[in-house]
Amino acid sequence: MKTLMGIAACVVLAAGITSCEKDSPDQPAQTTVSVTDSIKVPFASTSSYVLYSFKDSAIVPNSDSATTKWDFGMRYVQMIVNSHASGPGSAGVISQSGIYADYNTAPTSGYAYDTTSTKLAVTWNPFDPNCWYLYNPTMHTAQPKAGQFFVFHTADNKYVKMEVTGITYADFVSQTEPPKSIIYKFRYVYQKDGSVQLNN
Amino acid sequence: MACCNVFSAMSQERTDSTGKILDEVVVTATRTENKISNVPLPMQVIGAQSINLSGSQKLIDILEMQSGLVIANNPLGTSLQGYPNPFGSGIQLQGLDPAYTLILLDGEPLTGRNAGIINLGRIAVGNIKQIEILKGPATSLYGSDALAGVINIISETPKNNYLDARLHYGTNNTLGITASTGIIKGNTVFEIFANRYSSDGYDLDKNIYGKTIDPYTDYSFSGKMISEWNDKNKLTLSGRFFTEKQFNNYMIYPDGQPSVVSGTSVETDESGFLKWNHKVNGKVNYHASVYVTGYSNDANAYLQKNDSLYENISLDQLLVRPELQFNIGAPKALFISGVGYNFEKINSSRYSSKKDMDSWYAFVQKQWQWKENFNIIAGARFDKNSIYNAQLSPKLALAYKINPSFILKGSIGAGFKAPDFRQQFLNFSNSLIGYTILGAKELGEGLIDLQNSGQLDKSVNITPYLNGVTLTPEKSIGINVGADYTFGNKAVWKLNLFRNDISNLIESYNLPFSKSNNQSIFSYKNLNKVFTEGIETNFSYKLDNHFSVFGGYQFLIAKDKDVIKEIKAGKLYKRDPETNVTTLVRIEEYKGLFNRSKHTANARIQYRNDNKGVTAFLAAKYRGRYGFSGLDDFQDGNEILDNEKEFVKGFVLMNATLSKQLGRHFELQGGVQNMLNYTNKTLMPNIYGRSYFINVNFKLEK
Repeated sequence: MKTLMGIAACVVLAAGITSCEKDSPDQPAQTTVSVTDSIKVPFASTSSYVLYSFKDSAIVPNSDSATTKWDFGMRYVQMIVNSHASGPGSAGVISQSGIYADYNTAPTSGYAYDTTSTKLAVTWNPFDPNCWYLYNPTMHTAQPKAGQFFVFHTADNKYVKMEVTGITYADFVSQTEPPKSIIYKFRYVYQKDGSVQLNN
Repeated sequence: MACCNVFSAMSQERTDSTGKILDEVVVTATRTENKISNVPLPMQVIGAQSINLSGSQKLIDILEMQSGLVIANNPLGTSLQGYPNPFGSGIQLQGLDPAYTLILLDGEPLTGRNAGIINLGRIAVGNIKQIEILKGPATSLYGSDALAGVINIISETPKNNYLDARLHYGTNNTLGITASTGIIKGNTVFEIFANRYSSDGYDLDKNIYGKTIDPYTDYSFSGKMISEWNDKNKLTLSGRFFTEKQFNNYMIYPDGQPSVVSGTSVETDESGFLKWNHKVNGKVNYHASVYVTGYSNDANAYLQKNDSLYENISLDQLLVRPELQFNIGAPKALFISGVGYNFEKINSSRYSSKKDMDSWYAFVQKQWQWKENFNIIAGARFDKNSIYNAQLSPKLALAYKINPSFILKGSIGAGFKAPDFRQQFLNFSNSLIGYTILGAKELGEGLIDLQNSGQLDKSVNITPYLNGVTLTPEKSIGINVGADYTFGNKAVWKLNLFRNDISNLIESYNLPFSKSNNQSIFSYKNLNKVFTEGIETNFSYKLDNHFSVFGGYQFLIAKDKDVIKEIKAGKLYKRDPETNVTTLVRIEEYKGLFNRSKHTANARIQYRNDNKGVTAFLAAKYRGRYGFSGLDDFQDGNEILDNEKEFVKGFVLMNATLSKQLGRHFELQGGVQNMLNYTNKTLMPNIYGRSYFINVNFKLEK
């Protein structure tokens, strides 16, 4: 019954442009949580952001956008973090290059914030060498750049490393029109105890 | 002329009456006539014989069957999905893009490159004497663009009075009509040539609206007069005109709604050439020439639903070049020197105003034979241009004859490619997506305009860009080392090792701020360093009086030095799309530049039987697998070629032609092109499947 409820919840969430598919090997002895998740966000740079909470591994409704319940938000290929121009939290982000699996310690400073609604902490310009995804001008598709991930200082003062592992399009209307949605697959390690240790 | 018919006589030039392989006379390598065995540079000659035997009407079809020459499509062109490809395909030489090979017609350059590529369809095949392909940098004689080499198409000069008419008909309703005549009156030779060529084009993908290649009609005319009024003075006057009209029909999707667009693109190309040769005495002669060439491309597209203009793209280009060349000394110790001036003017719908640039140049070259066995060429050219730094391009070449049949050759030369008009002056905003591209010289004014029109936020600091960016020419050093071996006048084997190091490659980049619509602004700057290296080998063998065989092979490595640097610094990663495990790219995993085949090979068999008036021709070209950017959709998380899924499979193109003489004046030819029916509708849209043709050739000569 519980499983059925879970599936039902997933279906409902997916219908409302949201998430499912996660594994949370939440072992009591460990203070880190490793999560694989995916979110579906609008393929439009004018829509509302889909907001996400690392702590809850869940999408936060837009009615809570003025709270510290969410850490980052996505729409199109744009990311916001919950602080400064984007929200009341104290979240920040670092675009980190290297190997996600080998990255164990988060820094305590150097996190970037959204200065204004157009000057975001994370560049979404595919021609910027620091951009976290690759744009394929032939196929008009995008893929996360290998060796590029994010380190977050969350809205609730925790540390997270997060890597986008897949970008796919969904909700095609016709062959010739752009799709309506993008699905981001990502994984992250969330340190519950507030320390900078991010071992898996 | 009485004994044999005119077609076999015309095709005798590669071998003399005893069946020996002849030493062709070439002009491209030294700007003077030289036997190919005396030229210490890698060269290849395609004679009228081969061209005629193949029955081909398209220069590109002839060139692509040669060793070391690969057809390269502009990667932009393949992404257009039914939209007419404005870039076409060009020739990749020693692994370098088409923009790095200079195309000459009787020694004078063709202008009008679109994204670096000259449409080779502009040259009618009918009256070519020979095509000389000089490999390795030839900037010391020809200036900019000759980094990879030079392809010089040399037209025939009539030796008799003649009348020639040719009819070609083939698949896709391709029709070619050619007529030419040569008249000799006293000391003066006249020639007039006319060609009409048309095709319905073809459609490789029925799911995409519009044809892959749209229908087109070409007209070419040329005329030449050479007057040798005494043995000291010769006057050459020539002119040509080419026009192509292509009928475009494609679909666009503004606001997601399909809308049909149709129109025409008209390309024209004309030139005039006047040259006076004067022999001062037995040791000194000079020639003075003026070359004027114009190119224009005008594309108009209209929305079908209301006949309103959707897009107009136009380009007009003019080049005027007076030149003076002195040749001093005996052939064994010849010194040449020359000076010239280029005036270039360009006007395009994508530039803010008319642009011009002028340059002058001077070159010297000394050629001498030393101790009978050594043949040395040393030369240099100086180019002074109004919009970029002066360039000095030296070259040294050496041949050593171990014995009459075994020659070693080596050369080293510098080359450069001037920043083109597009990189300097483009001022273009894409109306659908909204990005802007500004040439390096346009940067300051372009950014001010964007700010004044509210397209760029006033708070953006554009001060560092106000003076524009000075682009320096792309530079190269090319080294060629090889050997030619002749086996008893029946066979020749040639080997050449090459290496080209190119620096200052001009690439587009993104300015560190965006437009108010969040779209990028691009410009150009000198960025990359690449190299190409490889081996080319050729073999030709005349088995008997009937059969000749030719074979060639090229091994090529071409890599981006900056990518190698990044890999070595541990900054380039790849991701396994299955497991999402990220690792560093290892140096041996990097396969090099896209669109380069490590292996290419070609073979040709020719049969001729003069008694029966029959010739047969079979040619094959293998292009090994090559990388294509984005083919794996960047699933491995990087943009370099390091993944099996990024390779396009190799393929073979094979053509066969049979010719039969009918009486003294007629020849009938039939041929099959692309016998193996290779197609790749997205990546090789220029290759149609199997096609057939017939030619009826008539020649009257006396």
